[in-house]
Amino acid sequence: MQPDDPSLKRMTPPKLNILEKTYLPQILGGLAVTGRHIFGAAIGGKTFTEQYPEEQHIPSANYRGVHRLNKDENGRIKCVACMLCATACPAHCIDIVGATAPDTWDDREKYPENFVIDELRCIYCGMCEEACPVDAIELTGLYDLTGLSREEMIFDKTKLLSVFDLTKSVEPMKTARTSATPGESSSTHELVTKPTDGPSMRAHS
Amino acid sequence: MATIIINGTEHTLPEGEKLNAIQAAKLFGHEIPYYCWHPALSVVANCRMCEIEVGSKDPKTGEIKMVPKLVPGCQTPAKDGTVLVTDSEKVSVHQKMIMEYLLINHPLDCPVCDQAGQCGLQDYSYEYGQAAHRFVEERIVNPRKDVSDAIQLNQDRCIMCTRCVRFTREITGSGELNVINRGNHAEIDIFPGQPLDNPLAGNVVDLCPVGALLDKDFLHKQRFWFLSKHDSICTRCSTGCNIAAEENRGQLWRFRARYNPKVNDYWICDEGRSSYKSANEPNLLSAMFARGVAGGGLTQVGVEQATTLAREGLQRMAREGGAIAGILSPFLTVEEAYVMSAYLKGISSSAVLALGPIPSMGSDQTFTPDKIAGRNGDTSFLVPRPFTIHAEKCPNRMGVEAILSHFQGEVIDYAAISARVASGEFRALFVASDAIDPAYMEDDAAKLRRSDFLVVMDTTVTPLARLADVVLAGATFAEKAGSYVNFQGRLQYSEAALPPRDGSLPDLDLLAILSGKGTAPIHSRTILAEVATVVPAFSIVTEGKVPEFGVIIGGTPEPATVGAFPYTDPWLTPRGDHPTESGPNGRKQP
Ligand code: SF4
Ligand code: SF4
Ligand code: SF4
Repeated sequence: MQPDDPSLKRMTPPKLNILEKTYLPQILGGLAVTGRHIFGAAIGGKTFTEQYPEEQHIPSANYRGVHRLNKDENGRIKCVACMLCATACPAHCIDIVGATAPDTWDDREKYPENFVIDELRCIYCGMCEEACPVDAIELTGLYDLTGLSREEMIFDKTKLLSVFDLTKSVEPMKTARTSATPGESSSTHELVTKPTDGPSMRAHS
Repeated sequence: MATIIINGTEHTLPEGEKLNAIQAAKLFGHEIPYYCWHPALSVVANCRMCEIEVGSKDPKTGEIKMVPKLVPGCQTPAKDGTVLVTDSEKVSVHQKMIMEYLLINHPLDCPVCDQAGQCGLQDYSYEYGQAAHRFVEERIVNPRKDVSDAIQLNQDRCIMCTRCVRFTREITGSGELNVINRGNHAEIDIFPGQPLDNPLAGNVVDLCPVGALLDKDFLHKQRFWFLSKHDSICTRCSTGCNIAAEENRGQLWRFRARYNPKVNDYWICDEGRSSYKSANEPNLLSAMFARGVAGGGLTQVGVEQATTLAREGLQRMAREGGAIAGILSPFLTVEEAYVMSAYLKGISSSAVLALGPIPSMGSDQTFTPDKIAGRNGDTSFLVPRPFTIHAEKCPNRMGVEAILSHFQGEVIDYAAISARVASGEFRALFVASDAIDPAYMEDDAAKLRRSDFLVVMDTTVTPLARLADVVLAGATFAEKAGSYVNFQGRLQYSEAALPPRDGSLPDLDLLAILSGKGTAPIHSRTILAEVATVVPAFSIVTEGKVPEFGVIIGGTPEPATVGAFPYTDPWLTPRGDHPTESGPNGRKQP
């Protein structure tokens, strides 16, 4: 884009008045928040600290955590290997090997032979989810993503599909969620508050 | 002087060219969209996408008379006084309608279609089509089928432009493809048991404006926008076809034809098309080796050690008064041949330079499309040009010969030099190969090993390399930049499509290190500029730059070519180069 591009919108920052120029109102405003937190905890008994991991953190419903690859009604991978997620991904962390779908899959032509996401390189922006034309890739509420080596954090197709099995009961596919009655499906909360439900992310072989 | 009026502006038509409205409009920066028209095929005007308003200006009164109905631009000659209107409401309403019709049965499966990103339907839908689709009836579903072992046809994406059919009838004359059924049920098909397997068959994939004809070799592997395209030259035979080598992640994925009216027109042969695979071979030579560093056998050594050993060995032999010979393969670029010759002549002015073995297979095969015979539609705009697949399976015999003749006045062929080496005439021998199929087998190795010191520069592990004293890992055709001289004596420049593979260095760099020019990468352009000043045959090249369609060396004048405007199908032109892109975002505003 050129500096003289007519579609560029030029903005002028608002002028500060004398009081604002001293920065005192902003500083005092910040101190007020600190004060509220200190006195709120000391006097009002209102704490802001979460006792993780004794108490599990519950992320909001649109939290962007570990990816999963969804399966369709027949248990086949939903992804059609269009590589639009890999195209959209700003971190270049998705690597897909496309192949012609087996002859028995008469509803599609292409599927991913392999699908790898480097979870360490990912910036969890959710662009992949946004780009997918068949809602095959989604970011789940799983946030406690840990591993002992870099290699372990590179998730392949099997691993990404297993995240779907792990999270599908608490986080149905987004397409299903929009048609389901609100409240019918809870979010990641159950999964995270009952970690015994499934294998831990670390138990991956 | 012929003038044409396009959208109200007068333009002067070029002399001696017979253009249609599409070409004339394009020449002056107006786009007329089309699918079925192709400059090498007869005009059938069946897609109706290029219909525009046409009229003529009376030379005496200056009065303009328009034809009441829209007329296909592909069929309209651009003559003196022709009036074209390409951007009126009437035209754009028509274009919208045609796009809607073409998409009636289209599966809209762009996400899984290999053509996406370089598709005529996508581009024109965006620029001339409409978002709404009013067709509610059931779409015709046409399953995919194979038209040959190498090519798949997804019939439901086809728009029945018949480019592919006309190609097999008019260019190859083999007529494998045809249209079966009628109307809504029309399909492209082959005759039972007669697959589309002529030597140029792969071109129908390049020709198809949509994703209907697909190369099974490339199918579903990559997306078009991941690939970086390099303007290269095919090294599979001495025709020297211009190709676009498409690379991603350090691998070649396919070759496509690149237009050069003076060499290959719009086509490449299937053998050349699949020759990209040899650059991806996993067992290419991946390190330098030297004998006698540790024990008697070949040991892996670094670039520095290998080049030092080679240089010292050759120099020692020369100092001791031994004769030195070099064998230059016809796969070397002009620049490499020059640097290698200069280097060997520099060590010893009596060094003998010879040409390596010239691979050959079958006999030359020429396709000579006629202007009229075998064609059905309007052929008045055609300039038919022949296409030859040569039996000589190397890209640069002429170029290496020109260099050799300059350095020693004659070209010694491989039979002569191998006999001389076998007779023990030479103490040191430097063999440079880079051939696609391994060039030096057991019997060559036995003869050439008669020299005391043997340096081999190659890309594959040959029996000769196993016997060498120093093995230098050079560049494959895809890893080197440089120029080749084809069968016509035409010098053409080929870009490197891949970085040097691990453990190797481009030959030009290896030769520069050997000749003591330092270890900094050398540009082939710098060397070519030097060649032009030193070797008279190449003096036509200025500043190391080779013109777009190449240049004939050796002082022979360039034959005149009619209809040689640069041509690419609009859906294949890179984004941003589009003639109608005018808006601030580089796109036409809605
Ligand atoms: S969340 Fe963003 S960075 Fe991570 S894989 Fe998706 S697109 Fe790439
Ligand atoms: S965008 Fe969706 S369908 Fe396309 S490759 Fe990514 S996950 Fe698969
Ligand atoms: S297969 Fe392609 S080239 Fe052949 S008629 Fe259909 S759209 Fe045209």
